[in-house]
Amino acid sequence: MKLKLIYPRWEKLKGQTTFNLPPHGPVVFAASLPAYVDVSFTDENVEAIDYDEPCDLVAISMMLSTQVKRGWDIAGRFRQRGIQVLFGGIATMLHAEDTFKHADSVFLGESEGRMEALLADWRNGQLKPVYNYMTQPQPPIELIGPARRDLYKSHLYNHKGVQMVDLFHASRGCRFSCYPCAVSYLGGRVFRPRPIDRVLEELASIDNNRLFIVDNSLAQNKAWEQTLFREMIPFKKKWISHTIEDDPQTLDLAAQAGAWYVYQAVYDTSDYIRERIRRYHDYGIGVEGTILLGLDNQTEDDILRLIDFLLEIDLDLAEFTVMTPFPHTKGYDDFLREGRIFDFDWNHYNAGQVVFHPKHMSAERLQELYDYAWTAFYASESQEARMFRLFCNVALREMNDGTYRPRDRKLSGKSFGKDVRRNMQTV
Amino acid sequence: MNISETYYDEVFSFRGQWDMPSCCGLRIIRKTDVTCVIVTELYHDNPGTSVTYAGRSLLEQICQAKALSPSDVVYLECNPDAGSKLSFYDEAYYEVSFIPDAPQTAYRRLTPDEVKALFTP
Repeated sequence: MKLKLIYPRWEKLKGQTTFNLPPHGPVVFAASLPAYVDVSFTDENVEAIDYDEPCDLVAISMMLSTQVKRGWDIAGRFRQRGIQVLFGGIATMLHAEDTFKHADSVFLGESEGRMEALLADWRNGQLKPVYNYMTQPQPPIELIGPARRDLYKSHLYNHKGVQMVDLFHASRGCRFSCYPCAVSYLGGRVFRPRPIDRVLEELASIDNNRLFIVDNSLAQNKAWEQTLFREMIPFKKKWISHTIEDDPQTLDLAAQAGAWYVYQAVYDTSDYIRERIRRYHDYGIGVEGTILLGLDNQTEDDILRLIDFLLEIDLDLAEFTVMTPFPHTKGYDDFLREGRIFDFDWNHYNAGQVVFHPKHMSAERLQELYDYAWTAFYASESQEARMFRLFCNVALREMNDGTYRPRDRKLSGKSFGKDVRRNMQTV
Repeated sequence: MNISETYYDEVFSFRGQWDMPSCCGLRIIRKTDVTCVIVTELYHDNPGTSVTYAGRSLLEQICQAKALSPSDVVYLECNPDAGSKLSFYDEAYYEVSFIPDAPQTAYRRLTPDEVKALFTP
């Protein structure tokens, strides 16, 4: 059977450097399909959908709230042709009530070990409207196989000859349940590390020196984290991740394992944060601060002080977002009860657009402060220039350990599959 | 983030969204003129749907289990003081009104005096 797997496009945030990374969810899902399924994958962020491509079933994988409306539109086109459409992925789980109306079937939960039964129903003309596995224990973590990266058209994830990082995960679930986050709802509140041998098997299969380890946080279990880093050292990969345990031995192992830079939440102006950033740098690990604006405990002055603080500490990059009440978070419940959500257009739930009334300022003022934060942080050195510095840093490290791959000259005139428009003036 | 048992008399298990096994704190206060049903969010100890997201369905499940009529009770949601340094986890009580045959729900936060009166016999 032929399954067409689609990852809908979404509107990128204005004024920010856009990179298209190869999506992780669809290829992890594809790895859970039986071998007889012939999968054709389209990431609409980098290529157009061929609606006439012959297929037996369409599966739409959605990660972001800003993908769901586009996903529904795509489903409509295929269903008009009489092709049934299955939805899955974390944004489907967040927006399942609405997605039902646009789907032949909605899959909720993790797919490993469960697709054979669903496909048998489909073959028998008995596809159920919902496959709800959220009420059942998660499938055994060892069932997660190497993601189907063979489905990528890898040249589409290349910018001027530089290949983008490959995404990879070593665990699921999160023992934390942070206020604005839906991960505990989506992946469960129990941290579930993959068996190390399965992780290493997958690492060995990835033909890319640079990775993004997308686990929610690596700082969940120190012993596991240290084992993971120790075992990763021989691969000589360089990688980005979320938070790493604040512990000298763990940071040292992370650096040896190839930690390139981390996303670290910066939520106040304390010495703890300042020192946390410094400790990463002490081990040669870069830091991209992730700064959430508009929480109920932030006044205008707090936000302005936070922005000043970011300029004082030695962050390599900063990414600003505004508080967004995603369904199935406490923030959503709180704001809903207080009647503070004024915009339910999921296309606007991009963490760059204010969709609620903040506690200490108007929505318009928070939007201004968000714009100001981006402008102020990158005033002295642009985002592109700072990224280039991080890139040079990793290239030098790769040259030192003999893993550097020069850019692909054949693709130097392309950016994510499109021709690069040279900004050259005729003299 | 353990929620003090002083907030509830029993842990009520319910079917959350997509029938997810879920639980909340439950206290029923019978006054002379009205019965108050208070559901308390248990945060980390609730494996499933929040009380707010469960909404009307939770009220109906409680009423069925306790032989109450939804139209005869005052239904309250409690955000307990979770002992967190973050203000998002401070105590708050909301009176919840489900509008018949409509998805909308109206919430009204109780004043400190109303909360005090609620627990005064």
